[in-house]
Amino acid sequence: MKKFLAMILAVAMIATLAACGSQAPSSAPQGGSSEAPPPASSPQSASAPAPSSEPQTLTLILRGGSYADVIKAALPEFEAANNVKCEVLDLAFDDLHNKIALDALNPKGAYDLCMVDGSWMAEFTAHNVLANLSALGYSFDNDIIPNTTAICEVDGQIYLAPYFGNVTIMLYNKENVKNAGVDIAGVDSWEEIMTACKAAAAQGKKGFLLRGDTPDNFVSDFLPLLLAYKGWVIDKDNKPTVNTPEFKEAMNFYLELIATGEAQSKDDVVAALDSGAATMGVGWPGWYVPADDKAASYIMIPPSAKKGGEKYATSEYGIWTIGIPQNSEKKELSMKLLQYIMSPEVQLASIQNGGVPCRYSCLQNPEILAKMPHLEIVCNALENGVYRPVIEEWTDFTNILGAEMDNIVNGVKTVDAGLADAQAQLEMLLA
Amino acid sequence: MSNKPYKLNSGTLGDRAFPHVMLAPTLIVLIVMTVYPLVFTFLYSFTDYNYLKQSAAFIGLGNYITLFKNAYFRQAIFNTVKFTVMAVTLEMVFGLLLAVFVNSLRWGQKLMRTLLLLPYLLPAVTVALSFRMMLSPNYGIATQVLSALGLPVYNWFHEIKTAFNTILLIDVWQNVPFVFLLLYASLQSVSADQYEAASIDGANVFQRFWYVTVPNIKNSLALCTLLRIIDTFRLFEKVNILTGGGPANSTATITQFLYNYGIKNLKFGFGSAGAIVMTMLVLMLSSFYIKKAIK
Repeated sequence: MKKFLAMILAVAMIATLAACGSQAPSSAPQGGSSEAPPPASSPQSASAPAPSSEPQTLTLILRGGSYADVIKAALPEFEAANNVKCEVLDLAFDDLHNKIALDALNPKGAYDLCMVDGSWMAEFTAHNVLANLSALGYSFDNDIIPNTTAICEVDGQIYLAPYFGNVTIMLYNKENVKNAGVDIAGVDSWEEIMTACKAAAAQGKKGFLLRGDTPDNFVSDFLPLLLAYKGWVIDKDNKPTVNTPEFKEAMNFYLELIATGEAQSKDDVVAALDSGAATMGVGWPGWYVPADDKAASYIMIPPSAKKGGEKYATSEYGIWTIGIPQNSEKKELSMKLLQYIMSPEVQLASIQNGGVPCRYSCLQNPEILAKMPHLEIVCNALENGVYRPVIEEWTDFTNILGAEMDNIVNGVKTVDAGLADAQAQLEMLLA
Repeated sequence: MSNKPYKLNSGTLGDRAFPHVMLAPTLIVLIVMTVYPLVFTFLYSFTDYNYLKQSAAFIGLGNYITLFKNAYFRQAIFNTVKFTVMAVTLEMVFGLLLAVFVNSLRWGQKLMRTLLLLPYLLPAVTVALSFRMMLSPNYGIATQVLSALGLPVYNWFHEIKTAFNTILLIDVWQNVPFVFLLLYASLQSVSADQYEAASIDGANVFQRFWYVTVPNIKNSLALCTLLRIIDTFRLFEKVNILTGGGPANSTATITQFLYNYGIKNLKFGFGSAGAIVMTMLVLMLSSFYIKKAIK
């Protein structure tokens, strides 16, 4: 009896384990299943599939917030016209990077369209994460601001399209700046920013705010000032240049500037500028949409360190680009969606939802400018922006530099010691 | 009726196999879910495995040497141990006090128990985001209340002097209920006769607590401490959401360090070495309990 019971239990156990371990039969492929793009004549490329057919599903992995919201707002029309259902994952910065990277080695990708930060471009193209958009039939038109496409191509082949024109701007509270006696329209140097922030601090307001929550934010918020001092973080041979006189001078100025305010999280920076608790801070157009009845607005990042000094391109790009993962099984349909999202009409409509296109036809549209004059500032900034270094090690680079800047800002290290330590670590990293 | 004594090991092959067959599912699950990942993490810790590069060259103790040379990692270990010791101590003290208090209530025990448990039921991410809003220097309710009372207001998460302790308080607030629940359950099993006898012998409240309550719940206290040490050592969400390890690395924990320097950049070999170091530290901290359990 015991033997019989043991046999039954053993069989049951094996069956249970087998059932748990076996994969569910994969559903029939909804699009082309090969890794290569399907032929143009394949059924999925048809613009109007039979209404009775099951809708195909596209999975989009996007940066959360207004960046994803503007794409989500445009999707219903595409879904209806193409019998497609789009599923959207909107994620935080680091989660987005990791999810795209972790899926990249799977033979069948989970995502069909992805949003990519410019600083990941080198890493992603070096490891074949992204599909060649040129090979899929995509090309840039003349309407796209040329400078924004600078990092989207490798060896003449397009891998990304510049979707959301994020570029650093100088956020300010109108009332505080006015009370500080500064004519914001005429500000074109960091020296004047300092004057305004010191005056506001003397009146009991916080002066300049910075984001103090991640190493990457420390670096990003500082780079525009560094550019005004003619400094940069690497040279043309990709050697680190953070322990230089320009960097030190900019850092010392920065310490004096942020002494008028404090470090806060991004949401708090925006809230403080909007409420009038603080006066100025480096921001991005995606954070805030100015209007006549709003308390804050923005100007271009001042191009000079000193009043009347030499002018440099100081607008730092944080453009959110879109691409198609190399292992997407529905590349042709994804390309159709990418072209739809990048079209001038859809981009123009996205402005109403807080979108910031990289297109002249949108940013210089008289009707749009009449309602949203701040887009002229964005357009000017996008024309002259600077991308962060396109190096594979950028994540590590910002970790190291940001951590040392954090130490300097909080008084744990002197400027000299912090930058010397950062330089030594970065040299090891890039060796 | 046979007088032959039954021997456990005298059965047939099937009889001897029976207990092994019964144990097999658990063993298989353990091997797949625990042993296999642990072994692979250990092996990867000796390589320069990068997920995207798919390279995993053997580099011996390279990752461990790099780790211990890194001043930020050493500070992360210090922060983690300091946080664990402080958080577990506070949680045990407050949890025990609450458990004794609720256990002594003549009515309303169920209501108190339910209310006290609420913080523990919330996900750590929700707790972190709620506190970030409440302690915001701009719109935070805590800031506004403190200002209204004329009390000093701080930039809680971005000043070195406040960031660590603020996260500590949030963690203690969330996890005291766990300690409370475990000790409260243990207190329920302490016989009232013992308290009665102690009272007759003239023991006061503190003596009854020390000589009756504590000895009766000491095993639960030890278990609770062990569980809290293990859990607190893995602190990540609150730090990652509220401070990112700053300001100036003052709140960086081992897990936060590993996320920044091993996971974000997909250097899983380096991350594995850090995970092994963390496991060893947890084992060391909990070795007292494990030793006792083995005895």
